[in-house]
Amino acid sequence: MPIFKTPFNGYSVKFSPFYESRLAVGTAQNFGILGNGRLHVLDLSPTSPAITELIAFDTADGVYDVAWSESHDSVLVAAIADGSVKLYDTSLPPQSNPLRSLQEHAREVHGLDYNPTRRDSFLSASWDDSVKLWTLDRPTSIRTFREHAYCVYSVAWNPKHADVFASASGDCSVRIWDVREPGSTMIIPGHQHEILACDWNKYDDCLIATASVDKSIKVWDVRNYRVPVTVLNGHGYAVRKIKFSPHRRNLIVSCSYDMTVCLWDFMIEDALVGRYDHHTEFAVGVDMSVLVEGLMASTGWDEHVYVWQQGMDPRAA
Amino acid sequence: MSMTTKAAAPLGSTDGKPQTTPEPVQQVNEAQQDARPETVKQISPPSVFVNSEPIREEQVQNAVKFLSHPRVRDSPVIHRRSFLEKKGLTKEEIDEAFRRVPDPPPSLQPSSTNQDGQMKPTSNVQTQVPQPAAAAPGAVVSRVGTLSPSRFHWYHALLAVGLLAASGAGTAVLIKNAIVPRLKSWIRKVVLEEEDDLVKKTNSKPSLAEEAAAAAKAAAAAATDVAKASQEMLNSRNEERRHFEELMKLLDMQVREMKSMSNSVQKLEGHVNGTGRTNSVDQEDYRFSNSISKQSYVNGKVDVDTRSVRSSSPPISVEPPAPPHPKSYMEILAMVQRGEKPSNIREIDDRPPNPSQQPSNPRFAPIPKPWELSQAQNGSNQLLQSQGVREALDYKVQVNGLNYLEDESSVPWGQKKNVRITEIANENEVKTGTSGVRTSDLVQRVWVPPQPPPVAIPEAAEAIRRPKPSAKEAVKQEELGENQSVTESSGVTDELQRITKISESGGTVEINGGGVSSLNSSEIQEEQEHGHEGN
Repeated sequence: MPIFKTPFNGYSVKFSPFYESRLAVGTAQNFGILGNGRLHVLDLSPTSPAITELIAFDTADGVYDVAWSESHDSVLVAAIADGSVKLYDTSLPPQSNPLRSLQEHAREVHGLDYNPTRRDSFLSASWDDSVKLWTLDRPTSIRTFREHAYCVYSVAWNPKHADVFASASGDCSVRIWDVREPGSTMIIPGHQHEILACDWNKYDDCLIATASVDKSIKVWDVRNYRVPVTVLNGHGYAVRKIKFSPHRRNLIVSCSYDMTVCLWDFMIEDALVGRYDHHTEFAVGVDMSVLVEGLMASTGWDEHVYVWQQGMDPRAA
Repeated sequence: MSMTTKAAAPLGSTDGKPQTTPEPVQQVNEAQQDARPETVKQISPPSVFVNSEPIREEQVQNAVKFLSHPRVRDSPVIHRRSFLEKKGLTKEEIDEAFRRVPDPPPSLQPSSTNQDGQMKPTSNVQTQVPQPAAAAPGAVVSRVGTLSPSRFHWYHALLAVGLLAASGAGTAVLIKNAIVPRLKSWIRKVVLEEEDDLVKKTNSKPSLAEEAAAAAKAAAAAATDVAKASQEMLNSRNEERRHFEELMKLLDMQVREMKSMSNSVQKLEGHVNGTGRTNSVDQEDYRFSNSISKQSYVNGKVDVDTRSVRSSSPPISVEPPAPPHPKSYMEILAMVQRGEKPSNIREIDDRPPNPSQQPSNPRFAPIPKPWELSQAQNGSNQLLQSQGVREALDYKVQVNGLNYLEDESSVPWGQKKNVRITEIANENEVKTGTSGVRTSDLVQRVWVPPQPPPVAIPEAAEAIRRPKPSAKEAVKQEELGENQSVTESSGVTDELQRITKISESGGTVEINGGGVSSLNSSEIQEEQEHGHEGN
């Protein structure tokens, strides 16, 4: 299974929606406290070496998140700790990059999500309590969504409704928004502690999962949001990121500060269906490929990126 | 930046909403009554993502009590809202509570159209619509409000003086009537006693004995009293100790709360640049120090119960213990907090060399998502909502292309490209037909000579997407009451709105530039035909 060593601490990993052998990794020096950052674009290959770096972009500040464009196969977006959002194009020569540096957030940009249905816009979540909507062709944001009382850690578009998205914040709430509405349309006070990540179910557009510092993952139905559909316990520490599988309706993958990556089937009694403990530091980024069923990747503060097929051992040679 | 302020202040935003957007709200209600979240044919926004609960009066009243508290008045609006949200109130309930509280804070909502606010003096203060008429009564109300407390003060003072005078007079009378005669009688008694003493001295012995006995009894009583008193003292000490311990606990809690408050103050104060990510670090740091004090976790992993619990877990009332951070992390954190900069940081110029550089043309059509395919399969012939509508390049490669993709082996990209382009060209041909020809599309696939790949020229794409706005479009823009300047945002939001509406309405809206919507339906038909497994 491919393993890549990054010079800095890993923060985010995302598979390309165009090339099933390509993924992007965002890293930050000194655990993201203070230092430079680097955005890697990696390529998987059936021959050895199993994983190689196609190109890397250095940034002045840490890269907290990365997102691939859904409209342009070579364009990706990086969330930078200095509050900027930078666009890169791997088809252009390295000296022409970055394409853009969009500086509007007042604080670190912590989350990004590209619209998978309309494919022309993306959202950025920042520690300045706001979420901004952008398109590739505009130098300024289209809208700013400011309602959270604390840092917004994560933002996720609804896979079916192109105007709806959710944001997860340190004010312990998840807000559902519609870009056509002036304010949020729903507030889910989901946890008693900060909510670090949220993601929608790809096959049931009313289900949303939230991951919190309270070590649990809760799945909510927006039609009845007072009570969670289910609560997934099992992580030893805060859950940092979650993703619903693009291929299987009930599958969730999560990574946590307990250094493990866990797989859950939230519809069955014994929900924890897989556990990978390959990381030796906080597991901070995880993703499942949209193009290859079962292919997943994770990265963490141990400066490694693992790519493996579900069911296999990530550390296997 | 003007953008940020306009989208801010949720307080007033939903105030304006019921008045400015009556139609969508109505339609939302209708959709809810249908109890069918998946309305496709209606031109209504997805209703499931909006609160459909009615306003709970009890919650609103509790919120009003909370908001009326003087200490709460001093706190910023956003904290009050956050608190109420955590208590489970919906946005509507919170807004209603804010409306009811007598002296509401001003909102920054310029587009709010509370023109009937003159009926309710409270909401007058809320609207900052630049209408002097509305502003004047509002000012008067606030002035009256400030006057009344001072008047109250006068009355209060008058009452106090009156009471004092009355009590003074009363005590004077009492003294005169009760105490003076007592004094007199006491003097008389003393005089009489002196006289009696002379008489009493004659009855010496038996009275002495009696007196001694009485004294002994008194002494015994005194001793028992002392014993009782000492016991009580012991008891009270125990109680005091208990109280003291409780006090200590409370103090501990308060200290914790103060720590958290100081942390939050730090976060609020610090738009920290140089001192690094003290934010999330603080969160973990604080908990880390907390865990040290609790001594609940030592290094290394904790044995975790790997079985997940499906039912609800007991609420976590204690702060979750911090995960053990890597040692170098703590070192770096300490260094940064001291103000030192780690030595491995380089000066990097990551500015864009050419800020107007255009992205390179995409080489491939976007690939449909697995969940979109399976839904096209399972779903009806009706349109899926809001599939990305762009020009020809956007969308729906056919199954053949996908089969190639799933193959892990190295099929040269060139081959795949050709396949896709053929399919796209095919689609081009197909979609130029009328939508009525759908059934025939299902049956046959017309071979068309491959056309050159439709290169995405963004400007052309926008031109196609942006026909002259009809009156309908203009009305929609007003309805949605966006705060942004029409010139700046109308382009994109207009597109976004219109595109969604088009796809939701099943492509019935007329558009220049051809079958953008029929693109959807024809593609989906073809997918159904191929029956690709996406699940």
